[in-house]
Amino acid sequence: MKIRKEAEMENEAESMLTSSQEMRDLAEALSLYRSAIQHVAEKQAARPLAMDRKPAPSFRMRLVMVPALAAALAVAVIVPAVSHLHGHRGITAAKVVDVTPQTPTTTVAQVDDTQLMNQIDSDLTEDVPDALQPLADMGDQTATAKSSETEKK
Amino acid sequence: MEEIAGTELAIERKEQAVLELADFDEVVRVYRPRILRFLLSSLTDRDAAETLTQECFLKAWNARAQFRGDSSLSTWLTRIAVNLMRDHLRSRSLRFWQKTRGAALDVMDISDWVPDGRTTPEGAALARDQVALVWKAVDELSAQQRSVFVLRFVDEMELEEIAETIGMNLSTVKSHLYRALAILRERMGGKK
Repeated sequence: MKIRKEAEMENEAESMLTSSQEMRDLAEALSLYRSAIQHVAEKQAARPLAMDRKPAPSFRMRLVMVPALAAALAVAVIVPAVSHLHGHRGITAAKVVDVTPQTPTTTVAQVDDTQLMNQIDSDLTEDVPDALQPLADMGDQTATAKSSETEKK
Repeated sequence: MEEIAGTELAIERKEQAVLELADFDEVVRVYRPRILRFLLSSLTDRDAAETLTQECFLKAWNARAQFRGDSSLSTWLTRIAVNLMRDHLRSRSLRFWQKTRGAALDVMDISDWVPDGRTTPEGAALARDQVALVWKAVDELSAQQRSVFVLRFVDEMELEEIAETIGMNLSTVKSHLYRALAILRERMGGKK
């Protein structure tokens, strides 16, 4: 009986020692954890405020991806619908586009310079319309007066 | 006589707490690290902790007229932070984004941490291993267990103060703490 009691007591004492050792380890681990967390928090607190920093990459991705997807979806839906509705207009417009290049700019370049000068000259020496005839006469008179004066000189 | 002195002391404390709140810049300077530490260790997400810390002070600023000094300024601010954290964890959309969070706090964040009294590299490595074990165990705790655990072992609050801050009764706080410690002991190789 005595031996059994002693063994029980020894076991109890051993478990108490183990648990107190375990408690010490636990307390030490908790103390280290506190110190580590304080270190991390201090590092974080030393950083500029979140508002001043760039957002996280994932957030940046979301910021870019969501509008991009929305825009792509909008284009995919709206463009076929609009082209379907305005199909005929589109065709005529295409025809107009086809016709316009027929006014060649090269023909202008091909016009001979002397021909162009002659055309301008003829335009300028064209008969004065009746309504403007008095003005033309006045011009002639001053021109003849000036010419006679120079002749006199 | 003692009763009167006690009442006067309580009134004085309240007035002091209200006065302390008057200089809000100082309040932010003094309490920001503490609130940030609590949110960082509870959420293990840098961005969320930073955002909620700012929200906490914004709320405190907006509600400063309602502060009567019934609790300490620290308890009042921590209570705001706890409520914000609860809302944050309840929000389903945020819970979804949490999965893809890019600023998760990692055990690697303590790689440059030098533990006190551990001069040898082996000692420092051993200390880091111990912290990593606690870190992982804390990560497994439920939100309430973690809050109680962090307030007790990181912020070193008294159990009554934790009960007041979280809005739980004392026995619930004890129960959460007991479970949290049981998980921790188990992870550290001890008995449950």
